[in-house]
Amino acid sequence: MERHDLIVIGAGPAGLSAAIEAAKTGMDVVVFDENAKPGGQLFKQIHKFFGSKEHKAKVRGFRIGRELLDEANRLGVRVELNSTVMGLYTDKEVTVRQGDGVRHYKADAVIIATGASENMVTFDGWTLPGVIGAGAAQTMMNLHGIQPGKRVLMLGTGNVGLVVSFQLLQAGCEVVALVDAAPRVGGYGVHAAKVARCGVPFYLSHTIVKADGEDCVTGVTIAQVDSSFRPIAGTEKHFDVDTICLAVGLSPMSQLAKMAGCKMIESKGGTVPECDAYGETSMAGIFVAGDVSGIEEASSAMIEGRIAGISAAYALGYLTEEARDSAVQAQETALESLRQGMFAPKNRGKLLKETEEGIAVSMSLLEKGYVAEDEIERYPGVTHSARVHPVMECTQNIPCNPCQDACPKKCIKIGDNITSLPVVDPEATCIGCGMCVASCSGQAIFLVDEGYAPDCATVTMPYEFLPLPEAGDRGMALDRSGQAVCEAEVVGVKSMPAFDHTNLLTIKVPLDMAYRARFFRA
Amino acid sequence: MNKNAEVIVIGAGVNGCAATYYLAKQGVRVIVLEGSDYIGNGGSSRNGGGVRQSGRDPRELPYAMWGIRELWPTLSEELGADVEYFQEGNLRLGKNEAHRAKLQSLADKAKAVGLDVRMISGDEAREINPYLSEEVTCASWCPTDGHANPMRTTLAFFRRARQLGAQFYTGARVAAIKTVRGQARQVVLTDGTVMEGETIIVAAGYQSRAILNTVGIDVPMVMRNSETLVTEAQPPMFWQMLGTAAADFYGHQTPHGSFVFGGTAGYDTFNKFRPDGIGVPQTTSMHPSYLCRAILGYFPALKDAKIVRAWAGWNDQCADGVPVISPIDEVPGLIAACGFSGHGFGTGPAVGKLLSQMATGQELSVNMDALRYDRFVAKDRLA
Amino acid sequence: MNELSNRFRDIGEFVPEPDDDRIICRCEEVTKGEIRQAVHDGMYTITEVRRYLRTGMGLCQGQTCGRLVKGIIAKELGVSPTELESATARAPMRPVEMEILANEKGGEEA
Repeated sequence: MERHDLIVIGAGPAGLSAAIEAAKTGMDVVVFDENAKPGGQLFKQIHKFFGSKEHKAKVRGFRIGRELLDEANRLGVRVELNSTVMGLYTDKEVTVRQGDGVRHYKADAVIIATGASENMVTFDGWTLPGVIGAGAAQTMMNLHGIQPGKRVLMLGTGNVGLVVSFQLLQAGCEVVALVDAAPRVGGYGVHAAKVARCGVPFYLSHTIVKADGEDCVTGVTIAQVDSSFRPIAGTEKHFDVDTICLAVGLSPMSQLAKMAGCKMIESKGGTVPECDAYGETSMAGIFVAGDVSGIEEASSAMIEGRIAGISAAYALGYLTEEARDSAVQAQETALESLRQGMFAPKNRGKLLKETEEGIAVSMSLLEKGYVAEDEIERYPGVTHSARVHPVMECTQNIPCNPCQDACPKKCIKIGDNITSLPVVDPEATCIGCGMCVASCSGQAIFLVDEGYAPDCATVTMPYEFLPLPEAGDRGMALDRSGQAVCEAEVVGVKSMPAFDHTNLLTIKVPLDMAYRARFFRA
Repeated sequence: MNKNAEVIVIGAGVNGCAATYYLAKQGVRVIVLEGSDYIGNGGSSRNGGGVRQSGRDPRELPYAMWGIRELWPTLSEELGADVEYFQEGNLRLGKNEAHRAKLQSLADKAKAVGLDVRMISGDEAREINPYLSEEVTCASWCPTDGHANPMRTTLAFFRRARQLGAQFYTGARVAAIKTVRGQARQVVLTDGTVMEGETIIVAAGYQSRAILNTVGIDVPMVMRNSETLVTEAQPPMFWQMLGTAAADFYGHQTPHGSFVFGGTAGYDTFNKFRPDGIGVPQTTSMHPSYLCRAILGYFPALKDAKIVRAWAGWNDQCADGVPVISPIDEVPGLIAACGFSGHGFGTGPAVGKLLSQMATGQELSVNMDALRYDRFVAKDRLA
Repeated sequence: MNELSNRFRDIGEFVPEPDDDRIICRCEEVTKGEIRQAVHDGMYTITEVRRYLRTGMGLCQGQTCGRLVKGIIAKELGVSPTELESATARAPMRPVEMEILANEKGGEEA
């Protein structure tokens, strides 16, 4: 039987990070993943990540996956793909399906990084073909280049529902509505805003009553819900759709840990193995990292993976206790910084009325998906100037700061507190380079030039759709809610390698539209 | 919490649940104490579902045959739940002369007790079951054998007994039986709770040994690990129960379409286990592959059927391979039913009914003297 | 013994609900009403409902319905879903053809 120092199960962000840290100490590491491609969910993430520079902010998920894989390969980690771990037995033995047979492997330590699977909700017709998970939609689009449907309704306004809705739009699908039984948008406001300004209506406090269709989905009926989440008769709305996407949360795929005999906790977020600060379960030498130990996102999964890898190295004598402690400490500091802000675990389910700066939050953003025109001026990133300058419609405290470093002229300040709202430095001079626009993972930064011409202003916006408009194209400018508000002309399109596929579209609009026009439709 | 009943049953497996049902049906008040958190959590939910007579020790045949004649055919109707009983015969397969000799000897013993078991050729076996490989050269055929769904059966007994007023407790682990003036009377739980009954039935699998030890009675048993597989649903192929002379696999297709297969890879008695025996029995990494190889040797057509699940269970393996089903003379009021040695499911209804007769002092439908607890003597003194 | 161990605990009468015929376990086509009825028949645990009705025993092994079934049982018993233990996890984690499972590689010499 083949034996290794460490077996990592799952080549997603957590698993690869764990393998990298372990291999750095000289350990012999093998990673198994059931998929044909490594990276787990990372390779489906075509959007730029939030966070700090040290933690891959503004890098697109699939690139992070590729970087992790390259690093793992450089360190001599063996990544075995199309390798399904079927069981985790006593003495840290795994059986793996590979090709037309099975193999047995043993290791002195095992890190389980198997991730999560999508939750479902039921309604009449939920088993019809055409009702799919949002993650499945993402796989179809971003891994296989297939449109999941033509007309889609998305249930769930957490980050997955918002991000996938945007990606559906990018893939050329029509998103007829974003629906959530909760009274407020669950995900980042900036993710909601970029979907809303494309014209997708948000229906909060609504749920799906039924899916129509005989052999597949042909339509969907939603209705408003009362405070007990029961549909209110008479509030039904019908949409013709061929696809219903469900983004209603994830459940840890913790079955291997349970099979191995790890002590499990039945939590609200699913069944998870009990583990200590090092990621070690109740079974000595069996560690967990990433979503399998509780749902978070890829950035924290990577850090948890590193902690588990470091801890496994210590368990096998490849690191001293001091080395482990200082390495883990550094990772925990980073993890802590990611768990700050309005979406921090401690704030889950709470309605925060003010930002850390004491500014009233936008209720329109929470209820409709976009900041209302009478709310936007209250944020420090939104200023006026006679010449071109950034307008940062970043209104929630989230741990993210790439814009600060993106500006070569130091116009943008966030400071040491990574969750602070960005502030425009009135002393610095914007040169209109657009680096900040492209750096913003939330696509919330615009360049506004109110002095472009008499009675005319320009608005430069991030644009990630195809076909890319050309200078001279005419169309309509849409406001934050997606309503067409005026005619607009494209006066500039900028694409640079440094923008990493976020194109900058500059449109000319009447002067009074400079703070309303936020999207362009040809 | 009601702590008094006429009968206390320790163990909510198929035997305990069946005994409880037949008692409750007569209006007897019963409390059932199950040590694990689940009804039917031992062998009753982990076996291959055989309802067989063939292949059994002659001592078991009288009550096994009685159950198949009198109880199984109407059990679903009686319990108001489909137990998926199929009486479509049992094929015990052989591939060589040694197998034929073994099958012949088993058949001869069974015939002596009145069971219809006959030897047939490989071709005759393939007429009964066209999916058998050419490697099969002989078989024994018992047309009155069959199979049922063990989980449904156990839970159907539980469900009906509960409806009739029997009181079931799970997570009720027995520390000791206490006698009062020489009579079995009290059952003390590990949390200190004391239950009282006039009769106590111990049907707790291997745990019965420790429980009986508390009143100075010992049944020689070991725990033996047994592993089983189930496939995804397949189109209906055949309804016979299957076994082999080589004992390399057994199993059947369920009405659901899945195949349930068991068999031993050779280390059953030596596998690791949690000392309390109540946790989830662990499967081994070698067993599923072994069993697939064994099955495909007889049924190559199943090569693309997918295995969805493997599980393990503990047998209460009795020293002579036959259970103890017996009142305990020295402790009046105490009845033991344990040591079923991995083939107790099919006799569950019969044993349950007989236990109910023992507990209520009725005449037994079948003579059970061969299953007494005091039969274990040195080998030179065995009859 | 915990609260759920007394199988005589009164959980009220079975009251039909309009969506009782809705499929919950897709692999085994088990409805919400069947699950609710099983609870009223004394199956107070996920494990017993599974053994009685086959919920979560199909190709996906409960990956899809596990959480839904848990929620229905908990509601019927009037407890939080976190009080119910999830079903046992069993190998193989993914369905695998018998021919492939039979083909052990690399260990033949042993």
